[in-house]
Amino acid sequence: MTIRPLFAALAVLALAGCAADPAPNEQIRLTEQALEQARAVGATADEVPELKLAEEKFERAKSNMTDQSYKKARMRAEQAELDARLAEAKVLTLKSEEQLNVLNTRIARLRKQLREDAQ
Amino acid sequence: MKRSRVVGGLLLAALASLYGCAGQRSEVALEKASADFQKVKEDSNVLRAAPKDVIRAGESLARADRLSTYWGSGEDVLHYAYLSQRYSEIARQHSNQVLNEERAAKLELERQRLQLALRESKLLSVQQQGKWLEEQIMEMATTQTDRGLVMTLGDVLFDTGEAELKNSANRVVLKIVQFLQLNPKRVVRIEGYTDSTGGKQENLKLSRDRAQAVADVLVDLGIDEKRIQVEGYGDEFPVDVNATERGRAQNRRVEIVFSDEKGQLGASR
Repeated sequence: MTIRPLFAALAVLALAGCAADPAPNEQIRLTEQALEQARAVGATADEVPELKLAEEKFERAKSNMTDQSYKKARMRAEQAELDARLAEAKVLTLKSEEQLNVLNTRIARLRKQLREDAQ
Repeated sequence: MKRSRVVGGLLLAALASLYGCAGQRSEVALEKASADFQKVKEDSNVLRAAPKDVIRAGESLARADRLSTYWGSGEDVLHYAYLSQRYSEIARQHSNQVLNEERAAKLELERQRLQLALRESKLLSVQQQGKWLEEQIMEMATTQTDRGLVMTLGDVLFDTGEAELKNSANRVVLKIVQFLQLNPKRVVRIEGYTDSTGGKQENLKLSRDRAQAVADVLVDLGIDEKRIQVEGYGDEFPVDVNATERGRAQNRRVEIVFSDEKGQLGASR
């Protein structure tokens, strides 16, 4: 009889521990921002798998928010944020590579013209 | 009592195996994240381009490492290992981007240098072409007289009694246009002459019309009207006798008098 309230108290504490995870509103905002930024530089879910991953995780994070599973929501949103940031970085790197290719092509063309002119 | 113990034992075993699974997975993830972090940490380019991301990769890894010593934290370890790996990869991408941009800046300078060189070489070739053209113009029946550089378009370029220029004049006319375009300060006076056959007034008119026809073609081809004077002298100033057919043919002509390079044209007759 004396032990039962103790269990009950423990159970309540454990529940409180879970519920103590606050709603990750700030993280949700950060993730949304990261997604927007990735799309702003031209990333699309079809071409950049990391963005697709980010969008999926963010959707799940939002439904976790409505279920009040805040810990899951936070973790998914955190991962989605970095997935989105990686997508953005990849797109920017790709663009810088393309710019290098354009420059190299132009330089090759200029050199060719100069050689022809010299003849 | 006995049954509940068995159930309890089974439960414990199940929990342990679950933990074991998550624990193994998280260990692998931790190792991977650690390896990735080592690589970016030791790359001076990555450190320079994305120091913050490298630091965050390290922090997340340390967190995953710390959590891995706690019982039942497999999911959290996986999570932070994942974040650490992402940070490492983001840092690597940023570094590649920065390196590419630095190379692009150098290539851009190279491109500008080459472009300048090409422009100079083209200019040179135009100047050489101009010189060549000038030589050709000189060769083409031009004579250096006290009136300046004079080029004669012969009688064969016109039909008898007509002022219209024949197609066979195209080549020489184009050369004059090119020459004037390359020497934008030079101006010309186009002078028409006839033989002494026919009336004075008619000859004067025909000579003027022929000179004007040449001027019109030059204007059509883009030479500014202001650079062209037109004169008709009729049968005056013959270059040969009017007694022979050959002499008369020589006298029927259009002369183009070129100014010097500064645009100074000799006085008209």
